[in-house]
Amino acid sequence: MKLSHTATLATPIDRVWALVTDIPAAAKCVPGVTSVTANGTNAYKGTLHVQIGPVRLALDGDITMTSRDDARHTAALRADAKDTRLGGTVRATVDLALREIAGGCELAITSDVQIGGRIGEFGQPVIQRKSDQLLGQFAQCLARSAS
Amino acid sequence: MSAEYHEPRAWDEAVATLQEHGDDALVLAGGTAYTLLLRQGLIRPGHVIGLRRLPGAARIDADAHGGVSIGAMATHTQALRSEAVREHWPELGAALAKVATIRIRNQATVGGSVAHADPASDAPVMLCALGAQAVVVSGSERRRAPVDELFVDTFTTSLAPHELIHSVEIPGRTPWTRAAYLKYTLRSVDDYATVSVAVRAEITDGVVEQLRVFLGGVGATPMRATSTERALRGRRVEPRALGDAAALARNDVDPADDVRGSAAYKREMTRVFTERALRSVLA
Repeated sequence: MKLSHTATLATPIDRVWALVTDIPAAAKCVPGVTSVTANGTNAYKGTLHVQIGPVRLALDGDITMTSRDDARHTAALRADAKDTRLGGTVRATVDLALREIAGGCELAITSDVQIGGRIGEFGQPVIQRKSDQLLGQFAQCLARSAS
Repeated sequence: MSAEYHEPRAWDEAVATLQEHGDDALVLAGGTAYTLLLRQGLIRPGHVIGLRRLPGAARIDADAHGGVSIGAMATHTQALRSEAVREHWPELGAALAKVATIRIRNQATVGGSVAHADPASDAPVMLCALGAQAVVVSGSERRRAPVDELFVDTFTTSLAPHELIHSVEIPGRTPWTRAAYLKYTLRSVDDYATVSVAVRAEITDGVVEQLRVFLGGVGATPMRATSTERALRGRRVEPRALGDAAALARNDVDPADDVRGSAAYKREMTRVFTERALRSVLA
């Protein structure tokens, strides 16, 4: 499942770059994230709570920054998470890219999400809508936090 | 892990039980959606609160002005066969008759369908178009909320965690009121809708005075075709205008690709079925 979002920020590119590459700080912009802590070099642990009607997921997982290019303002992340109570996994690769535009910068987030186990029973349209919503809120929150 | 089952005999007791167990509790109405989620392993509540013993929970009444009140625990079959619905809102009965199969209609409740907030369900879309209000209870408090304002996302309502739907009230009609519900299913008649359209209109001397158009299956909630409504409200009914207004509904929906059609296809079927629904009530 591929998702993409862009957000326009009226903030200098370097300030936004510093925020999006500070994973624990940027993670505060994802609704439902309760904690993200460092777990080695470029590796983090965190929990994401997602609710879709009566279904509540608690996704515990690892986030790794697999590449980072400060000159080009691009970075790639990998996230592996599972819900141990219901039984299900979420794997995602996330590419972040910033480019300078007049008066600020534009953030592009593209993501490829794979769902396994019981969570997949929900059906892709519902999951896609929820993931899309989370990513959209993340982009908006980053825009607010960086300005 | 098994759940503890509660069967309160009073509404305030039901609300108190819900408050006591919070996130660990699940409210059971007809149980058709609950059973599916449980079998899929997507829910594991510690406490289940069954509402079937609540006084008046399945009561169906009509008022002096042709308004109809349907208790949240009335099944689709009870509602569509009731004298009140047959006499005052046969169009609602026709919409309820389009829900899945008779086994589901005998079990699934009108209130449960609203609370579950599946955007492809039939009853919520029609209730939105008819301008229904939900009577919501929490403890000794009661409030009324327009049904269309309850839906905030897929399977998600604006109800507070300690609130229960007591009943839904459909306002009465005038001799100039028209309503219709069309459901388009791509695979089999008992499926969820690829798109469904519900319309309520008040027409005086050939002029559309009031119009409410809602669509199911083409967004995260029942979607209101505000562009279509705006294009026709206050205008004289002309066949060509109906087609043009229906085409605007394509921009009021937000469908997703799934087994019931691509997003583009659903958008196009939104136009087709909105036009048919408008023609059936306005032309």
